[in-house]
Amino acid sequence: MNATFALIGNPNTGKTSLFNALTGSYQYVGNWSGVTVEKKVGTLHHNMGTLVDLPGIYTMNPISADEAVVSNYLLEEPTTPVLNIIDTSQLKRNLHVTIQLLERNRNVLLCLNMIDVANERGIYVDNNRLSSLLNIDVTPIIARKEQGIDNIFHGLNQLHKSTTPLVLYYGSIVEKGITSIEKKLSDLNGDINTRWLAIQYLQGNRQIENKLSSSNCEIAKIRDDTEKQLQFKEGNITLAYHIMNVRETFIQSIVDQVITIKKEPKVFMSEKIDQIVTNKFLGIPIFLFLMYMIFMVTFNWIGFPLSDLLDVFLTDMVAVWFENVLAILQVNPFIESVILEGIIGGVGGVLVFTPQIFILFFCLSLLEDSGYMARITVVMDRFMQAMGLNGKAFIPLIIGFGCNVPGIMAARSIEQERDRLITMVMLPFMSCSARLPVYALFISVFFKENQALIALSLYVLGIVIALLLAKILTSTTFKKEKSLFIMELPPYRMPQWRTLWRATWEKGKGFIRKAGTFIFGGSVIIWLLTYMGPGGIDVPMDESYLAQIGAYIAPFLAPLGFGTWQAASSLLTGFLAKEVVVSTMSIIYAAPEVQMQGLLAEYFSPLTAYGFMTFILLYVPCLATVAVMKQETHSIKWTMFAILYGLVMAYIVTFLIIQCGRILGIA
Amino acid sequence: MNIAQLKENEVAIVECFSTVDQLIKDRLMQLGIYPNQEICLLRKLPFGGPCIIGTCGQCICIRLYDAKGIEVKKK
Ligand SMILES: Nc1nc2c(ncn2[C@@H]2O[C@H](COP(=O)(O)OP(=O)(O)OP(=O)(O)O)[C@@H](O)[C@H]2O)c(=O)[nH]1
Ligand SMILES: [Mg+2]
Repeated sequence: MNATFALIGNPNTGKTSLFNALTGSYQYVGNWSGVTVEKKVGTLHHNMGTLVDLPGIYTMNPISADEAVVSNYLLEEPTTPVLNIIDTSQLKRNLHVTIQLLERNRNVLLCLNMIDVANERGIYVDNNRLSSLLNIDVTPIIARKEQGIDNIFHGLNQLHKSTTPLVLYYGSIVEKGITSIEKKLSDLNGDINTRWLAIQYLQGNRQIENKLSSSNCEIAKIRDDTEKQLQFKEGNITLAYHIMNVRETFIQSIVDQVITIKKEPKVFMSEKIDQIVTNKFLGIPIFLFLMYMIFMVTFNWIGFPLSDLLDVFLTDMVAVWFENVLAILQVNPFIESVILEGIIGGVGGVLVFTPQIFILFFCLSLLEDSGYMARITVVMDRFMQAMGLNGKAFIPLIIGFGCNVPGIMAARSIEQERDRLITMVMLPFMSCSARLPVYALFISVFFKENQALIALSLYVLGIVIALLLAKILTSTTFKKEKSLFIMELPPYRMPQWRTLWRATWEKGKGFIRKAGTFIFGGSVIIWLLTYMGPGGIDVPMDESYLAQIGAYIAPFLAPLGFGTWQAASSLLTGFLAKEVVVSTMSIIYAAPEVQMQGLLAEYFSPLTAYGFMTFILLYVPCLATVAVMKQETHSIKWTMFAILYGLVMAYIVTFLIIQCGRILGIA
Repeated sequence: MNIAQLKENEVAIVECFSTVDQLIKDRLMQLGIYPNQEICLLRKLPFGGPCIIGTCGQCICIRLYDAKGIEVKKK
């Protein structure tokens, strides 16, 4: 069967959890509003067709960019059956979307999710009653425990009956307005329900205003007249408020009939935790402490020991094994070099750092799934306000520590275009997991004592540079508008091991996959460039093509203290993906007798090593980030700006570090 | 009086929005905060930081400036 169903509902109600359960995929789940920011398509189990996961909405009138995706979808797909998922513990608020869906058509299956949360709060819902009042099927589920999933398949099978849409009476004045607009829209072909369009238009739905722009001036006049008449009769209220109020009254009457409350409200666990983590004085210290813990775990306590073990395994066992096998097979020396020096050297050099990357992703998933992410925005908002931004920017920025690409996507849930744009250009300075191997490599050679501290200082430096940029932009280009902030704080949820592991694996997998494709290919090419030169093949490395390319750039880097062709060509390859810097270095600094670590120590001093890490942190976003930035800002100008600002800052800051270090007498 | 003038854990009824920004007003409406709704001020963060308010079992955080723009009357 080739049916398509769409998941629609309020933000953070478990749409993606349900999507994953119904399609067996592993899309991104997290406990705050605005996790999903784009349309995702999956194949339903039991050959039932396809399911579309969408961002969350509160009404059909979009405010932020992710909500606009949904409004657009509803307009473009007027007949697609809808799986409307609602948070049972917030029935009243959630039903607003349901009502608007039903006004469109009744091809809707209602899923009451989070039954467990509702029951815990003493809220019980009579499904059968709700079903008969709304005249649609209702299924209770617990998406994250995958309970009630079979009933959904059953419900979806029965969905195709088309009955008449829900009609609410909005009072004589508004009804007259609706009828006149409908008349104007009568030549609009397609399956779209004109009454629904008219109501949405009267309510001020921006997306629909755009769609109807051709007949705009006439219907705009009808809307103004209707609003005037309404205000004449009812006093100072807006049309949008009136329409919402009619729905609210209807919803209240339903809620009164279907809900029973069995417990007196008490102080919930969430509130108790919030009293501590959003405490007046403790809020920011707790946030900083948690961040520090993440660094300690990733770099000191667990990450490094594991990565050392992996290193031993890769060099002493895997490499030796390959060497022996190749010797037995008697392959020609060229192939042997490609495999041992190029592939095992380059890819292995990066893979060694897998433990740190997985631990970092695990910690980030913990932040995301617990509900703490939303609290970070709250405790940091005052500070961000001083920077001219809002606390919500912290969500994309923290996601950016994992990878800048999803970070830039996550900025979609920021309501104001201005704040969203600034957040996006700040993102490349968030030190992503791809930069982590570079730090890990240098730290393990030069800063054995203060591993976590040095890493932390780089992350902080990135944040400082990003905030500086924000401050500059908000006090020049974007001076006129001010930033706004409103955030919903979801209840804390105990993260589940399964979700955490899946989330960590899904993100970490990207790193391993990159190692197998990009870094693999890159390593082979880089190795070839070191193997060949103007003088032929198998030339000394200093006469290779790579050395020549690097030598062009090296003089520019000389004031920074690492003006060698090796450093220059590593930086150049880092534009592809930051990890490639490490594979390039592994190939360049590979010597048969000495370990790369030893050779590195010859070419860098602790000071220039720190300078080099700073430069890597700031200099350019990787190729993938540039592509997403271009796509999301719709602006070459801003993308170029982000790249140039990075380059300039990288140069200046590294220069200052090196020169100050020298003056202070640090080698 | 307005929300910012409430004491922590004090309950009040929303009367009207006066100086609240349009975008925030739209969002508040969507989240179920509009005239005649009951709200409770849960916490105010220091140095003019945001306020956390509760309604119908949900928590919403807004800036002090906007909280000052929401007129309420005590229950
Ligand atoms: N207790 C409980 N938690 C649930 C249930 N379903 C989902 N969750 C949790 O609710 C949170 C939100 O889940 P998501 O699936 O990301 O919600 P969403 O609707 O896709 O959210 P957005 O993409 O932000 O609109 C996650 O922390 C889930 O683990 C449920 O039935 N019970
Ligand atoms: Mg989602």
